[in-house]
Amino acid sequence: MKKNGVKMIKINSKNVDVFYGKKQALFNINLDIEENQVTALIGPSGCGKSTFLRCLNRMNDVIDICRVKGQIIINDFDINDKSCDVVRLREKIGMVFQKPNPFPKTIYENISYGPTIHGMAQSKNEMDEIVENSLKKAALWEEVKDRLHEPGTGLSGGQQQRLCIARAISVKPEVILMDEPCSALDPIATAQIEELIDELKKDHTIIIVTHSMAQAARVSQNTGFFHLGELIEHGSTDKIFKNPENKRTQDYITGRFG
Amino acid sequence: MNKNKEKLLNSRYRAEKRFQFYGKSAIFLALLFLTIFIFKIFSTGYTAFQKTWLIVPVTFDAETMYLDENPSKEDLEDADYFDLALQTMFDLDKSASEKQQNDLKRMVSYFFEREIKRELLNDPSLIGKTKDVYLTASDDLDQVFKGNYPRDLPEDQRRVTDYQLKIFDQLVEQGRVESKFNLSFFTYPDSREAELAGIASSFMGSIFSILVCLVIAFPVAVLAAIYLEEFAPKNRFTDFIEVNINNLAAVPSIVFGLLGLGILLAVFQLPRSTPLVGGITLSLMTLPTIIIACRASLKAVPPSIREAALAMGASKMQTTMHHTVPLSMPGTLSGTIIGLAQALGETAPLILIGMVAFVNTIPGSPLDPAASLPVQIYIWAESAERGFVEKVSACIMVLLGFLIIMNLFAQIIRHKFEKKWS
Repeated sequence: MKKNGVKMIKINSKNVDVFYGKKQALFNINLDIEENQVTALIGPSGCGKSTFLRCLNRMNDVIDICRVKGQIIINDFDINDKSCDVVRLREKIGMVFQKPNPFPKTIYENISYGPTIHGMAQSKNEMDEIVENSLKKAALWEEVKDRLHEPGTGLSGGQQQRLCIARAISVKPEVILMDEPCSALDPIATAQIEELIDELKKDHTIIIVTHSMAQAARVSQNTGFFHLGELIEHGSTDKIFKNPENKRTQDYITGRFG
Repeated sequence: MNKNKEKLLNSRYRAEKRFQFYGKSAIFLALLFLTIFIFKIFSTGYTAFQKTWLIVPVTFDAETMYLDENPSKEDLEDADYFDLALQTMFDLDKSASEKQQNDLKRMVSYFFEREIKRELLNDPSLIGKTKDVYLTASDDLDQVFKGNYPRDLPEDQRRVTDYQLKIFDQLVEQGRVESKFNLSFFTYPDSREAELAGIASSFMGSIFSILVCLVIAFPVAVLAAIYLEEFAPKNRFTDFIEVNINNLAAVPSIVFGLLGLGILLAVFQLPRSTPLVGGITLSLMTLPTIIIACRASLKAVPPSIREAALAMGASKMQTTMHHTVPLSMPGTLSGTIIGLAQALGETAPLILIGMVAFVNTIPGSPLDPAASLPVQIYIWAESAERGFVEKVSACIMVLLGFLIIMNLFAQIIRHKFEKKWS
């Protein structure tokens, strides 16, 4: 989205290096993410795109041997700084995973968990409202409104993934990270999610990792191409797909490797 | 070439058939042993649930009890029933010699005057009247009536004399011998007299020990497991701890008994022979079992659930307490019950801390001296009287029943909670 003709940058990463033990997984990544746009990260398996995504909400902290260097600046604040509180950060930056992973609790509890631990609802009514709005935004309300108190794990794969999206947006994050959200879904469920992503970008900045070039072309405004831990090229999706500067990008897009 | 292939295929089929045969015979053998074992226990033990009573007419003669006229309740309470009781037995054969009178006295349980006293206290108007009273038969006659006693042995090798058998047979003919459900086996504490011995004290001792064990071992083990699995850094020191927990699980139980003896009794001066000390000793034994079960079930919680919670902004603590631990509980609980079942069957450490003492009171708290079921089996198995043989088997049946119920409970917990969400 442009304000006064200037693109607003939401996330600004500078010289990001990631190491797994002694092995370097990402080399000097400099990537700006525009606000209220969908940015797709593409590249062959093992190129580091998921690793980069997990740097943005510091999910790599969970992995003992993983070290992150460099700056990732969100809202003028370096999230790799020691003063950054991970809990607050993850409240602002939601995440949807490759495989749908609803909690083994009811649909209602799945959505209400985030708002509960962050103290976002003062009353039962307020919570009901949050749950309803989140499910509506995730285009799941109509399908589940009569069975909010049934287990979330009883839904179909596509519904579960939308439930996870609803769970992520329940705390009103500014950014939503999606790690191959459709790779475990059938084409119809995929289409629903893609439609949803387009809808969500009005309120959220979205970064999506995907293996499907077609999906990147369909849903994203910007694309970054990773290869062997390096960011080879990034820019508007149109440009990357129609007129890439780098030979490797072109080869990947046209299916010559990957 | 083709022939070779066919040969190879045939030998593969044969190998599979052979393997299946071995497997089936192994299962058959295991079941056979189990059946023999259970059959043996049931066939020796089931008679212990019946008790033989002699129905003897008692004349409640005030004079024999040295009572005045119109005695009060207290007088009846304090009266001497021994002579009355003796007289009752002597009346069975008025022409008995002194030696035979002694035999007559031994036909009933040692404390049989108490049974006569209870009868009179229930109904004081019986004074001066005659009533048929149920008296517990001596354990030897009990065995005779149950057919467990070899009557064809020469008399000097039997504890039952020919004279006793003669009187007993007369009573049987008159319908004055009756077999009834042996309630006292469950309500009486241990006794030197086989016919009066029950499992009440050892049963309560076992229950108290298991409760103490549960109260100590469960929280300690679960906290240790959660910390080690979810929070502790993975380094050499935690590896060392992990190895030692596994070692602890393999330590012979008697070593824990020595520990209880040396530390709990000698250093801390806790009361010996009590379920408190027994429970603490058993909890040391159960601890590693629960830790291992709890860690295994924490490990089995899919990492995706942890990631989901962390990504929602839950802290490590919240992730663990809200998601991981509840999901691991079915496994932890069934591991705990299996650990407790193990502790329930443990004998050696309890013998060392003195729970093998002869206890003829029913414990009311973990601080009272008590035995436990397996120790009771051990004590009775050492006794020479024939009456204890069936009691050993009966006690084993009670213990096995207890264990089966506990294991069933573990299965139910596991099933119920695992089904709920999948």
